[in-house]
Amino acid sequence: MKKIFSFLLMAVLTYVPFSQTVASSHREAPLTSTDPLADNTDVYAFKSPNDAEKIVLIANYIPFQDPSGGPNWYRFGEDVRYEIHVKNNPNTPGDDITYRFTFKTVNEDPTTFFYVRLGKRNQKNTYTCERSMDGGMTFQTIVSNGIVPPHNVGPRTIENPTVGLGAPNYNTLATNAIATASTGERVFCGPTDDPFFVDLGGIFDVGNVRQSVNRRDALYHMNVHAIAIEVPVATLQKNRKTVAMAANILDPDYVIGVWASASRRQIRTLYSGGDLGDDGNFVQVSRLGMPLTNEAIIPIGMKDKWNRMSPYAGEDLQFAQYFTNPELALYMDDSKFGGAVPGLAPLRIQSNSLGAFDFRNGRPGLFSLKGTSALTGTALDDAAFGTILLPNNTSPRAVDLLPIFYTGVPNLRPYQLATGKNGNPLAAGKPFINNFLPTLGDMLRLNMAVPATPRNDPNFSSLGLVQAAVLGLTNATYANPNLQFIPNMDGFPNGRRLEDDITTIELQAVGGVVLAAIGLWYDDFVPGQSPVTPQLGKVLSFNAGVVKNDTTSKAAFPFSQDPWRGFLGNQYVGPQSFVPAPTQPLAATVLAYNCATGVVTFGRTGGDPNRAVEYRAVGVVNGGYGTTTTRTVETGVRADPNTRNIWVMVRYVGDPMSEATTTFDFRTFCAAARVANEGSESLSMRLMGNPVTTDEVMVEVMGAAGEPLKLQVVTAGGVSISQQSIGQAGEKEHRTVRIGSIPGVYLLQATTPTSSQTIRVIRQ
Amino acid sequence: MRISPLRSVHLRKTILSCSLLLMGLGGYASSHREAPLISNDPLADNTDVYAFKSPDDPNTITIIANYIPFQLPDGGPNYYNFGSNIRYEIHVKNRANTPGDDITYRFTFTKENEDPTTFFNIRLGKENLKTSYRCEKSTNNGTTWTTIVTNGIVPPYNIGPRSIENSTVGLGKTYEQLRQGAIATASTGEQVFCGPSDDPFFVDLAGAFDIGNFRPEGNSVNPTKDGLARYNVHSIALKIPANLLQKDGKMISQAANILDPDFVIGVWASSSRKMIRTLSKSNDPAFDGDWVQVSRLGMPLVNEAIIPIGTKDKWNATSPYAGNDLQFAQYFTNPELALYMDDSQFGGAVPSLRGLRIQSKSLGSFDFRNGKPGLFGLKGNAALDGTALAEAAFGGVLLPNAASPRAVDILPIFYTGVPNLRPYQLATGKNGNPLAAGKPFINNFLPTLGDMLRLNMAVPATPRNDPNFSSLGLVQAAVLGLTNATYANPNLQFIPNMDGFPNGRRLEDDVTTIELQAVGGVVLAAIGLWYDDFTPGTSPSPVTTNLTNVLSFNAGPTKNDTTLRAAFPYVQTPWRGFDYSLKARQ
Repeated sequence: MKKIFSFLLMAVLTYVPFSQTVASSHREAPLTSTDPLADNTDVYAFKSPNDAEKIVLIANYIPFQDPSGGPNWYRFGEDVRYEIHVKNNPNTPGDDITYRFTFKTVNEDPTTFFYVRLGKRNQKNTYTCERSMDGGMTFQTIVSNGIVPPHNVGPRTIENPTVGLGAPNYNTLATNAIATASTGERVFCGPTDDPFFVDLGGIFDVGNVRQSVNRRDALYHMNVHAIAIEVPVATLQKNRKTVAMAANILDPDYVIGVWASASRRQIRTLYSGGDLGDDGNFVQVSRLGMPLTNEAIIPIGMKDKWNRMSPYAGEDLQFAQYFTNPELALYMDDSKFGGAVPGLAPLRIQSNSLGAFDFRNGRPGLFSLKGTSALTGTALDDAAFGTILLPNNTSPRAVDLLPIFYTGVPNLRPYQLATGKNGNPLAAGKPFINNFLPTLGDMLRLNMAVPATPRNDPNFSSLGLVQAAVLGLTNATYANPNLQFIPNMDGFPNGRRLEDDITTIELQAVGGVVLAAIGLWYDDFVPGQSPVTPQLGKVLSFNAGVVKNDTTSKAAFPFSQDPWRGFLGNQYVGPQSFVPAPTQPLAATVLAYNCATGVVTFGRTGGDPNRAVEYRAVGVVNGGYGTTTTRTVETGVRADPNTRNIWVMVRYVGDPMSEATTTFDFRTFCAAARVANEGSESLSMRLMGNPVTTDEVMVEVMGAAGEPLKLQVVTAGGVSISQQSIGQAGEKEHRTVRIGSIPGVYLLQATTPTSSQTIRVIRQ
Repeated sequence: MRISPLRSVHLRKTILSCSLLLMGLGGYASSHREAPLISNDPLADNTDVYAFKSPDDPNTITIIANYIPFQLPDGGPNYYNFGSNIRYEIHVKNRANTPGDDITYRFTFTKENEDPTTFFNIRLGKENLKTSYRCEKSTNNGTTWTTIVTNGIVPPYNIGPRSIENSTVGLGKTYEQLRQGAIATASTGEQVFCGPSDDPFFVDLAGAFDIGNFRPEGNSVNPTKDGLARYNVHSIALKIPANLLQKDGKMISQAANILDPDFVIGVWASSSRKMIRTLSKSNDPAFDGDWVQVSRLGMPLVNEAIIPIGTKDKWNATSPYAGNDLQFAQYFTNPELALYMDDSQFGGAVPSLRGLRIQSKSLGSFDFRNGKPGLFGLKGNAALDGTALAEAAFGGVLLPNAASPRAVDILPIFYTGVPNLRPYQLATGKNGNPLAAGKPFINNFLPTLGDMLRLNMAVPATPRNDPNFSSLGLVQAAVLGLTNATYANPNLQFIPNMDGFPNGRRLEDDVTTIELQAVGGVVLAAIGLWYDDFTPGTSPSPVTTNLTNVLSFNAGPTKNDTTLRAAFPYVQTPWRGFDYSLKARQ
């Protein structure tokens, strides 16, 4: 390999000397557990089941979100830098592609304690997505003002058109939030169901794994915040090739490594008054590539440090000992603490595989083969990667667990299925994985050339690559040494699908299942008999308790399901109290205005009907407060073409606090009347304002002069609301008719002995 | 009753200057993740404060401050614990005329990994993130401190049988033993407990915060849901002899009566962090500078449902002293929640609160809806002479202007406590005049004009097995005082639940319901300012439909999802992670 790789080889030799795995990364390290906004819980990378040329990357943050966690719910932090890192070339020093997300938060209505009220949303997130293709030297903004949908609070918050957001449903909000980047990716940032599943209560009670009774998904009905990107393979592939151009489904040029992180500014200063400031450079505070690494491989004394490191430049080599001799292996080893953890009893690591090889912690593993010609041509040869994979005689898992997490697994001997090996694990076998990208750091590695297993394939399995190995070893279709697509070759640890039960897979892997898959069978294997021994059967039938998510995945991007709703079910309506009479505030109105004389008649609406009112008006003769309702607009006002309004004030008698003001536009009123008048002499009506916003509307009826006139308001369904009869109508008959307070469409009918006219009235 | 002149010129000046501030101005779930900033800092998030007469000892007061909300019992591998870079404090005032704390308890925690080589929290008898504490006490507003508990034990999380009971892989003790062993006796006589416990609070968060989609307990439409069911919290609990809290060192037996004004304390809790946090790649974070308060809590639900979102972070950073809280007084004199109990505002938009309609023409004339005058029309009237509302007494605070109607009830409940003065006595014996002398039922007056939980320590505890014991606290005491023949006299008597919220706060008290009823005007009704459907001289009884609707209203769950313990620290042991069955959170 190239220079950097040999440097890393030297480094690993220095670091790996002996000293000394299960759940994803929710509150996994002491410091991150106190900083939920920056807590990166899971990373997924998988071939889109809908499009062979697309890869889906999902990084989740902010664990254990209670769907009813009001009043503030959860949001991405403005002061946090969220990044998804992609490597496609082991010879470059850092990221080959970086997606960076920056969030803003605004309160649309800071005067309420509610999250949403009257269509306004508080703690509303928007985001910018930037992309760098040069190791972070330059960034290009590819999504601006991206929408983060709100939490799925409940029906009043989401669907209610008056008090809430008036959305048709939550899914519409989530779907509308999907952005298309200027560079072709699709992007979604927002709350979703947490797709991870694990029995935390059992596993972390010193390995109290429950396989049936009382097992419990600790993330049951919990939400998380997802950053999801759907990226064309050609964007991620190092030479911009499409999947169609791949040499085969394990083409080594199609391997990417993915990890995500959260960073905060170096210095946080708390000020009085509830303000804080963030200054300085960004410092990484959380990272995640492979699942469960920092939860169940890295010991507590190193967890915070793990979160601060990058997987580049050999930084991860200081942690290599936890992979070559994992703590979890102690609990699958009867010479250590195996007897003390009954929950893991089905998992016993090979101590005498093929009568020779001991993979328990501190044992030689395959080290006795070092330097022998048997290794020639294999990955274990020192000429290949033997210095990493066989560093010394006390690092047994450098041969399987370390490469799964730190380098990916090459399609080289011995990393092929035992199928076709005729009992020699070092012989060539059936290829099943190639996600080799030897950077010597923890990343989720995916060969993008591998096709997706359809989710409705009967062989689709949450056991991922373990199930692909089982099929490749036992199913007649695959009983040949050729490269074939075996279902679930696109599963963990070749990338990670939302469905993959990585807790079970990783426990099986610590229990030696990968070793078995390549022909290093369990202790109870008798040469010449079936390698599917009782011990292998126990390992394969082991599971860590919860084997699937508590809801479905979506069929399309972003695949993560909509978040759980806080409020479910019907809404309670309280008992009706005695309602005080004035339901509408007191207001003034103009009941009639004579365009020829300027005589105006005031009226009132709303308020307490038992209290007398008085009027005042500006622009009116004798405009001072008094109970007289008929006044006259000043001649000068009427003559001035630049003046069109008079102001009418009403109040309860002697009560200045109750004053309310209404503006009356007499010019528009008269212009409308004139137009109507100039029409014809047939019966016609004109509404003063339509739609109407009050309980009553003023109507002007023409063409009924001298005749008896009946006015009637009916609902669209024909129910009568109000009616009034006029014995002898004037030339322009002004009347106020009652509509009522219920919004809707009404019909106003005017009827004379000779004619009838109907118009629509819209009450808002 | 006669108003005694204010004892201190300083106090009177404070009140006057505050009343000037009030002139210019014009809630509801407890405080779990209640403000934007603190919702990101769970370790420093003060969720609830309780202060009550110990039910098993009339001479002691128990104070509990809870922190770190929404703890999953199975939240491994790190579970939860007090922060080692946080200053946790419980503040007590017993005098209105001193500038700051009269008593302060300060807790400092340190952590240790007994076995840093494992990812398990407990393994082979070793405990990681093991926490111990020091408790210091100051009785001179923080000038000097005495360490009263050294190396206090914080019990581990109740992870499961292998971690706790198993004697090979775990600690080999029952959780009860671990917890009992963690109760310390301070050198000054207090009992102290710091550790995880069941969260005793209960509220239907999903309903309340879906824009007021309340589901009362017992409704037939949609069963209510306790948003804190099966969650744990971290408690700091103190059981304190009353004479250590009383300003002159008096015992309960020396109280003049059960409402002796000299026995009022105000309690609040806080957490503070160092001003500057520095992150680096190579080291754990460093903390420097002065301490800055980041969370506080006195009365429940203030910052959750009274203070609007734009001001919540500021509330958390403010102390209740020196008039600081007056900038928030407008949210009490015209509370947002009142808009949803008022048909001329948004009353029609929140159907679940229809049972609560604020008085708009009590006794035919008094309108307590937001922006309305309330009792301001009486300002300067001789009818107020001799009452708390007189200018010579506290009229400047209680009747500041014609647009602060709730300065007469909500503001004093939160900011000053309620004196045993006219009109703050039950309508019993008032003969229809709310300003007349009535039956005393509360006196927790400590007029500092800041948010605290105020408790009159002279009031006896209601036995928890008393048939009249009620989670409605003082509201139920008022109901009994108004309707029960035993109390149909104007004399001072112990009425059950006079030791309940808002006279202190018991673990059982349904503060969500009580506060909503209070915003709905129930305190006004209790003192004779009846609801609109009562017409003096015509209505046969003040117990009208409106009042019945208010009293039968509840906000959701009315009790905790488990029992309390009979002895200190009273809060129940934490839920065990391994037991956290599938049924729990559905």
